[in-house]
Amino acid sequence: MTLLSLTGIEAGNWINLADGETPQEGASVLVPLERLVAGASVLSVIAGSLGALVPTSTAYSELADIVDKLAFVVIEFPVFGDGRGFSLAVRLRKDFGFKGEIRATGPVTPDQALFLLRSGFDTVDIINENRIGAFETALSRYKDFYQSDYTGSTSIAHGRGAKSVQRIAS
Amino acid sequence: MYAYDTYDRTMVDIRVAEFRDQVERRVKGELSEEEFRPIRLMNGLYLQLHAYMLRVAVPYGTMSGDQMRKLAHIARKYDKGYGHFTTRQNIQFNWPKLSETPDILAELANVEMHAIQTSGNCIRNVTSDQFAGATADEVADPRPYAELLRQWSSFHPEFSFLPRKFKFAITGAATDRAAVKWHDIGLIVKKNEKGEIGFEVLVGGGMGRTPVIGKTIREFLPEKDFLSYMEAILRVYNEQGRRDNKYKARIKILVEAMGADEYARQTEAEWEKIKNTSIDVPAEEVARIKAFFIPPPLEVLPSQVQSVDDFAKKNFLFSAWLKNNTNAHKVSGHVNVTISLKPHGGIPGDATAEQMDLVAALADEYSQSEIRVSHEQNLILPHVALNDLPTIWADLDEAGLGTANVGLLTDMIVCPGLDYCALANARSIPIAQAITRRFDDMKRLQDIGPLKVKMSGCINSCGHHHAGHIGILGVDRKGEEMYQILLGGSGAEDASKAGILGPGFDEHGIVDALEKVVAVYLGERLEGEEFLSTYRRIGAQVFKEAVYDAA
Repeated sequence: MTLLSLTGIEAGNWINLADGETPQEGASVLVPLERLVAGASVLSVIAGSLGALVPTSTAYSELADIVDKLAFVVIEFPVFGDGRGFSLAVRLRKDFGFKGEIRATGPVTPDQALFLLRSGFDTVDIINENRIGAFETALSRYKDFYQSDYTGSTSIAHGRGAKSVQRIAS
Repeated sequence: MYAYDTYDRTMVDIRVAEFRDQVERRVKGELSEEEFRPIRLMNGLYLQLHAYMLRVAVPYGTMSGDQMRKLAHIARKYDKGYGHFTTRQNIQFNWPKLSETPDILAELANVEMHAIQTSGNCIRNVTSDQFAGATADEVADPRPYAELLRQWSSFHPEFSFLPRKFKFAITGAATDRAAVKWHDIGLIVKKNEKGEIGFEVLVGGGMGRTPVIGKTIREFLPEKDFLSYMEAILRVYNEQGRRDNKYKARIKILVEAMGADEYARQTEAEWEKIKNTSIDVPAEEVARIKAFFIPPPLEVLPSQVQSVDDFAKKNFLFSAWLKNNTNAHKVSGHVNVTISLKPHGGIPGDATAEQMDLVAALADEYSQSEIRVSHEQNLILPHVALNDLPTIWADLDEAGLGTANVGLLTDMIVCPGLDYCALANARSIPIAQAITRRFDDMKRLQDIGPLKVKMSGCINSCGHHHAGHIGILGVDRKGEEMYQILLGGSGAEDASKAGILGPGFDEHGIVDALEKVVAVYLGERLEGEEFLSTYRRIGAQVFKEAVYDAA
């Protein structure tokens, strides 16, 4: 596993809390969402910072009661084509105003790097470290986009209004 | 027509470079076939029965003469000299080499074309009325909105990995020539009492193995809220559409499961949260795009031309072509000419490179350099002066493009079937050819009148058999190709699902069955009554008896 930062933030360090284990006081721990929903308040008192491991099958409404206690979220893609992960990140940023780190884990591919960044992910846990170069290439490939997004980019449509654009004769 | 600016141009150029890199990584083994598959699909590249197939987008079915010439060039240089126009208003090349596909995409980019999102589980090429901007019966040209959708949906960060493919169709006319009710999202451009533009929004239509007619979830969506509302619909689908079974993953299944009212409620609730964010484009951008679609300055001409009428009196085939293959233009003295790609005995939707060049030349000379593709797999010269019709017809006829059958029985929608497709259960093309040979008499076809026959080689229904006045569905029965006949479907504003009449037939029997259905109609019809009306009036039983009892 290799960590790649999409947004440039420093990727957080945390421990995956094993089933039934209690975190050390002040530690940063990642806990499956299911367990957090059952006992978040207890864990958040002990842990220094708390993160949720969220499967893509999670409805965003399940995060509503817990999101305030979270410092980071890891969205776990079971397959790279499971697009629910993108909407979950969008919801976290948009509906909950979540400012903490959102990390993608699972078999996401370099060709999805910009989609991840633009949906609100900060970091990716890359399974195959040989691919880090491909991820980096993909990240810098497109500069302008047809949609506004959660990185704060405005869309091409908004850009067109802002400055005069050289038309190409066809 | 829309013309790229530097942003659009840069986008397709980068895409070509990206795809070239992806193909190289695949060839080197850095990408597995499983990983490469969605990438190539999002660039329109399929693996078919015999070879790769490249599907090139013709956004909302509009292209220029130069673009058509480029397609002809690609057919010649990279393929076997022909292409196939599809029900999604796209063109498919059946024999490209994987290693050459980046070069093809680069050539397309030079004429502002691409294959972006012509396949894959993403938002596909938006389809529209083939007469958009050139027909007397529309509220407004729908293509500026189709272009807005094209841009918004291209590389959408959130909606590029949907549960399943997603198809939009939009029309601005009361007569629905775009089958909007059969799409994941169907849009009808309307004007309210203040004269403001908006959209009726339908969701959850679709064919495939579970045919469903779309349901209206919004009667009038204001123009300024267009894209944010689409985003809300898509977000609900992306989150809740089924991913456990690809046959139940289309939005129609979700809408059926939760009910259209609930789908509307969730969409509205989501939209309330996002409608004031920067999803919708500024009014100046809408105006900028609309300016590309200002109607060409056609001269208002007399609505009758004596020399054309005289020629029609002397030439039956021309008079039939004039009657069937032309449609009223919004400017007097002009028509939309539909070029039939359904020559009797030919392959529906196919055009050779030479035919494409001819159509491009005719468009340049007689139709403001504009060409359309219809979802019924024909080509259209949208802005033709009446006076030019005899010359155009003669040129087309000489090239095998003069068939006068538009809207008639032999103007069939037909999928490629088992001759090309990896999914098909049965061949479609030979059946279509047999039908056109059986109904080769133009006088007889005209007597039968408007009749839409639509044929698919499997239940995925690329040939729209559910929406055919008469549908034909190829199935596999113990290794044998069999064909079922369906009656009473419609893809128009009066959309309806065709019903299966009874057991299937072999490839000869299906043509006989079709002929019997037609015979019943001819015997039962009232004065001036078209097939679909007769069927709706008398029901299936009379047809069933004739087709099965006499056998």
